[in-house]
Amino acid sequence: MTAAIRVEGLIKFYGSSRGVSGLDFAVEAGEVFGFLGPNGAGKTTTIRLLLDLIRPTAGRIELFGQDLSRASAAIRAKVGYLPGDLHLYERLTPREHLRYFAALRGLDGLGEGEKLADRFELELDRPIKALSKGNRQKVGLVQAFLHRPDLLLLDEPTAGLDPLVQQTFNELLREVAGEGTTVFLSSHILSEVQRLADRVAIIREGSLELVESVETLRARAFVRVEATFSEPPPAKAFAGLPGVRELERRGPVVLLALEGPADPLIKALARYEVLALDSHEADLEDFFLTFYRAGTSDAE
Amino acid sequence: MLSSVFAKALRDRRRAFLYWSLGLVAFIAMEVAVYPTVRDNPTFKTLGESYPKAIKDLFSFGGQFDIVSGAGFLGIEAFSIVVPMMLIYCTVAVGANAIAGEEERGTLDLLLSLPLSRSRCLLEKLAALVVETLALGLVLWTVLVIAVPLAKMHVKVVELLAATLLALALALVFGMIALAVGAASGRRGLAIGIPAALAVATYVLNSLASLVGWLGHLQWFSPFYYYTRSDPLRTGLDISDLLVLLAIAAVFAAAAPFLFRRRDLTTP
Repeated sequence: MTAAIRVEGLIKFYGSSRGVSGLDFAVEAGEVFGFLGPNGAGKTTTIRLLLDLIRPTAGRIELFGQDLSRASAAIRAKVGYLPGDLHLYERLTPREHLRYFAALRGLDGLGEGEKLADRFELELDRPIKALSKGNRQKVGLVQAFLHRPDLLLLDEPTAGLDPLVQQTFNELLREVAGEGTTVFLSSHILSEVQRLADRVAIIREGSLELVESVETLRARAFVRVEATFSEPPPAKAFAGLPGVRELERRGPVVLLALEGPADPLIKALARYEVLALDSHEADLEDFFLTFYRAGTSDAE
Repeated sequence: MLSSVFAKALRDRRRAFLYWSLGLVAFIAMEVAVYPTVRDNPTFKTLGESYPKAIKDLFSFGGQFDIVSGAGFLGIEAFSIVVPMMLIYCTVAVGANAIAGEEERGTLDLLLSLPLSRSRCLLEKLAALVVETLALGLVLWTVLVIAVPLAKMHVKVVELLAATLLALALALVFGMIALAVGAASGRRGLAIGIPAALAVATYVLNSLASLVGWLGHLQWFSPFYYYTRSDPLRTGLDISDLLVLLAIAAVFAAAAPFLFRRRDLTTP
């Protein structure tokens, strides 16, 4: 089976500044692929490259087995796109906007637009310039799904959506994924991608750090524990505890990663005077932190 | 009205087109209303003799300087500066907006994520620019055809058409430059500034060329040279001048998609 997206040696520089510096990955047809990375990592650059809005400095992009640099307009017929920084025709109403895009895609009326607008409770007949950010985002989402695309390129799709609408969006995404649509979903929120994606790529400073299935990633998930002591504990105080890894130390504040049961760590902490204790599920930055520590210690 | 890029480009200009049309109609109506006073005032007959040649060349539209005849008056008052500048202003605004304006507003990203090639997108917008310019010309010609006989200016319908066509072709030259600069750069300021500066510079170049010897040959580079060289309000259309102007416009029109296809789109 041909991959929905195949990227080989993709490099993009803007003058001398880095966009992406050497990407290789493939997204299988029907897969929900999370593209995770902090702001400025190259997520938007990658998506705009996939749409032929910008041109690679080097490398190759194939969508559905076709070379993007040759048949880009024809390929885009199969693609739905939600930009991260959404700009719509302010003077049109959502209905007019969707009708315009439907017409340019060769669809009658609004395509799937009416149904989707209903589902997102999007008001179709008020000028876009009078809409809130959330409602604009809905227009952006609806236009991306308008033509039942084979491939969705979604750049930070839930930014600006309230939680209820996010839920509708998640349901819709699962539905279309169930029908075989390939989804390329960029985000800087680990939990969002974990909920929706089958596989996750992590991009940082323009290159891919890892591509893993969500299960593998979840197996590596940990809790971040930040303990503040009355005085700095000895250097090796938490060494050798099962499932515990010391990440960082700032004087009396110690940052620890915990996998598995909490008991050994609690008992170890209790030997010193703890002034404050904070713990939460690791976010992306924490994940990077341990990932790199783990990476370097593995190499040693 | 929203069935294609071409249709939307025209639709977006509905209101602006109405205002430009009203402006042209009002301007011509005013000129025509003033004409009888000028014609009947004996001091205007000898006006040309007292002006230096530089001034006369600035306001010339073919033929000798003569503000008393209908053709002379219309040439000096309308076709020498105001009409071409109004049309150029309009085509440059539309041309600059076509790609660069939409790119700066950020909507071009989404538009070109659709199954629409860049050349196709640009050519549809270019077609809309041409259609709007022609429609504006039709408004101009129509109001002239109605108003000129009322003021007994004795300029024939075909001669009015000749002057109008030359003005349209001239305006298209600068409109296409705006489109091409916008397509190449994505910057609306440049796409307005460059053709505007070129319009002023080539206008002055053409006016001064007959006075300053060494400018003589440079005149050939000015679109205004081909616009003002013949005397369309008296002798009708010089088809070669029209073709030269259209050819210059066509060169920039042809360059625009080529320049647009090759580059990265910018985001605001």
